[in-house]
Amino acid sequence: MSNLEYHVLLALANGQLHGYAIKDAVESESEGTLAPHAGSLYRVLARLMTAGLVGEAYPADEPTPHPGLSRRYYELTAAGRKALALEARRLLAAATVAEKRLGLFRGRS
Amino acid sequence: MKSLLRALVGIFPEAFSDRFGAEMIAQLELDFDRARRRGRLSAVEFALSSGLNLITSGLTERRNPTWVGFRRPAPKGTTMLSQWITDLRHAARALSRRPGFTLMAVGTLALALGANAGMFGVVNTVLLDPLPYGQPNRLVNISGTAPGSDLPEEFGVAPEFYLEYHEHSRQLKDVAIYNSFTSTLRVGDRVERIRMSAPTNSLYSTLGAQPALGRLPVAADESHVVVISDELWRTWFGSDPSVVGRTYGISGESREVIGVMGPDFRFPNDGTLLWISGDVRPEEITPGRFGTRLVGRMAAGATPETVANELTTLARRLPERFGGSPSYAKLIQQHHAIVRPLLDEMLGSAAKSLWVLLGAVAFVLLIACANITNLFMVRAEGRRRDLAIRRAVGASRSQLIRLQLAESLLVAALAGALAILLAALALPIFLRAAPARIPRLDEVHLDGATILFTLVAALLSGLACGLIPALRASMASHVAQLRDGGRGATPGRHWLRDGLVVGQTALALLLLIGSGLLVRSFQALRQVDPGYDTQDVFTFQFAPEQEQLKDGPSWARFHLEFLKRLAAVPGVTSVGLVENVPLNEGTSDDRFRNEAMASDPDAGIPLNYTFTAGDYFRTMGIKLLQGRPFDTADQLSTPGNVVVSRTAAKLMWPGKNPIGRRLQARDETTWYTVVGVVEDVMQDGFRDTPQALVYLPLVGPTPTSWDISSPAYVIKTARAEVIAPEIRELVRAAAPEAPMYRIFTMAGLAKDSMAQLSFTMLTLGVLSTLALILGAIGLYGVLSYAVAERTREIGVRLALGATVANVRRMVVAQGARVVGLGLVLGLVAALASSRIVASLLFSVAAFDPATFGGMSALMAGVGLLACFLPAQRASSVDPVESLRNG
Repeated sequence: MSNLEYHVLLALANGQLHGYAIKDAVESESEGTLAPHAGSLYRVLARLMTAGLVGEAYPADEPTPHPGLSRRYYELTAAGRKALALEARRLLAAATVAEKRLGLFRGRS
Repeated sequence: MKSLLRALVGIFPEAFSDRFGAEMIAQLELDFDRARRRGRLSAVEFALSSGLNLITSGLTERRNPTWVGFRRPAPKGTTMLSQWITDLRHAARALSRRPGFTLMAVGTLALALGANAGMFGVVNTVLLDPLPYGQPNRLVNISGTAPGSDLPEEFGVAPEFYLEYHEHSRQLKDVAIYNSFTSTLRVGDRVERIRMSAPTNSLYSTLGAQPALGRLPVAADESHVVVISDELWRTWFGSDPSVVGRTYGISGESREVIGVMGPDFRFPNDGTLLWISGDVRPEEITPGRFGTRLVGRMAAGATPETVANELTTLARRLPERFGGSPSYAKLIQQHHAIVRPLLDEMLGSAAKSLWVLLGAVAFVLLIACANITNLFMVRAEGRRRDLAIRRAVGASRSQLIRLQLAESLLVAALAGALAILLAALALPIFLRAAPARIPRLDEVHLDGATILFTLVAALLSGLACGLIPALRASMASHVAQLRDGGRGATPGRHWLRDGLVVGQTALALLLLIGSGLLVRSFQALRQVDPGYDTQDVFTFQFAPEQEQLKDGPSWARFHLEFLKRLAAVPGVTSVGLVENVPLNEGTSDDRFRNEAMASDPDAGIPLNYTFTAGDYFRTMGIKLLQGRPFDTADQLSTPGNVVVSRTAAKLMWPGKNPIGRRLQARDETTWYTVVGVVEDVMQDGFRDTPQALVYLPLVGPTPTSWDISSPAYVIKTARAEVIAPEIRELVRAAAPEAPMYRIFTMAGLAKDSMAQLSFTMLTLGVLSTLALILGAIGLYGVLSYAVAERTREIGVRLALGATVANVRRMVVAQGARVVGLGLVLGLVAALASSRIVASLLFSVAAFDPATFGGMSALMAGVGLLACFLPAQRASSVDPVESLRNG
């Protein structure tokens, strides 16, 4: 899973979002390291949808907009939630290992 | 901005951009706004980086799709071909419902394609494939130049050059001398003067030609055999193979026919009917007989430059080998070989004219395509609602594009077929108008290559005309279309149509200026005073061959007697005789000494000379400036008197009275006395500078100076066009054995000499008129459509108090902007291309302000005229009606 994919899933874990809100969330949650351009963002979104990790959402409180001009909303599917959890655990594990090694390194010097 | 984004998003596969395009555009716009708020620099940076990102991710998506979408694939069994057939059927139906549109589009395109087909046929035969010999690009023409000498700037070299080149050149694989002259051919009772050539036997190997029948001449044949052309074989001998081995009277000698060449062999020109054998032998060389024409075949790897360098070096050894005078040795030191592709030499300025005309027809095609593109675009605008519905119910973009392309391709196919028909009908007429001097023009016909070219051009035109409108129409946001009922028309949509009209106007102006310059050149050429009068002069030649004509005086008496008979013909004002009549034959040249140069054997001024008798000067209207013309005594007795032209007098005796002074040809001993000075004449054409000419009497002081075998008679008569049969009777009575030939009126010769210019001028004139009309139609169409589209807006303006004049001005201003821009571009293009036409012009500057101004005014005038009708329609809009209907 790429960094951007992870962050898109992460953003959607907070609830249903439209495309631009996903982009904003990715940007802030990655502390500015990721500022995806439209082309990259929507290719990732498309890939996640095709893989069944993200689905289109129809929020109840949003009035039905014009077809075609709509803000479309996206949400995590069950599979997406599972995949995110797996990835988060993997990252955490990897980060823990890194912490230890770096600490060891620091201690020796 | 939005359309650019839409185009970039269009890089993504259709399914992807359908699903995510709107969202991507929305995000890009928001991001761009944010970036702009941070400053101009970051806005630019953002635009560049996100544009790049769109392009790369779009392309990646194409290669490696992440989104398949939910559109159903095309039903099984529908191949690409069957889809096209369905679309073409649809297109045919749609086109037949709009016959006016279809006729207009097909007609315009057919006219332009037909012109291209014809011109391509000519260029393909004459320019691209003119030499039917092996590896024709290796063939070169060889001449010389000797700056600082008194020879012409470029001159034919001498036979000893040929020997040296032939024996020692490594850069040349082969080389040959050739010439072209007319002489008699006698077969049984039939005697005619025909064009023939006496080349060296190496000509055939140089050109790589083989006889169709018989053999080629070899050294042992000396000059006693000939090979004949396919044309002569057919017309004189009925294609009888037994002609090989027979002997006929050819150019005053009995010669045996040993071979027949193929129909493609026409060297050095189309009319050459036979070739006499011969060779140059070193022991016969007298160095310095310049004026020989050489054709060579370059060895592999040689270029004209390397050949020229080698030949220049080889020529330096000539005085050592063949001797010659000190002035000859000096000339050889100054000599440089000139080597040029034979093709350039044979075509001369005709090639330039044909290329210019080919360019012109291509421009006309472009203009026609622009018109048709505009027509299709207007048509697509009208169908946007229809397209939007198709799109909404699931037609893919490529299906919509295909549907639209089918129409333009169908139009192009019809136009292509019609164009071939048009070209087949018009080509013979066009070729008859073409100047006869263009080689192989008679072979031009509608061949496979031309038909293929036309079909390919039609296909490309169809694509060009249909693709832009199809892409635009299919890209339009369909939802927006459905919502506003297909009425909305954003002004941004007009720039493409306006751009096309700007281009058309520019091209049309370019052609107009080109043809204007040619018209001015033609006028100038017609006003040239050649030094003689071409009106009411009839000229012909005949060459009597009779027993009693054995020396100069007897010949002179025969001709003087015949002149008297001609003068007695009713309606004949005066008659004269000359060796080389202007516009038909060139004169000979030699060096002449005046008395001051008598002691120096090498001195001499190069002058041209010809022989004349009778009332030549008065018949031709050549002005006598000083002294007197020849009388009969000058023709028959010593001492020799001559008449010189004004320039000749000035060269020989600058600032002095030439009457009574004497001159001598360099290799002769006789001194001639000047009795008269006449005005200069242009011998070879109206573009020439007048020649320094010495007129010798028919018979000079000694029989050896006599040099006329077949003089040209000139007759001044108001009946010049119809007098030929009477003259023929007189010739038959005086010399039944002699054919009459080279029969012209001077007016006809003058017309022929201008044929190439008038042909180019007329063709370009027709093309530029076509361009002007098409350009005007294009402008009219665009403005009419703009007015129709803005009817509601105009109605509102009128309702709010705009005057009719305001509205009219608004429409005209729109047209004027487009035309104005087109004019500026056209002028720039004309200035930039002036170098190309400059060599075709005569005494008119390529930047001739009158032509540039006049043609711009014409174009502007026609453009405004095209604005007028739409403006009129706009001003007659009824505000109430338009608001109610809108």
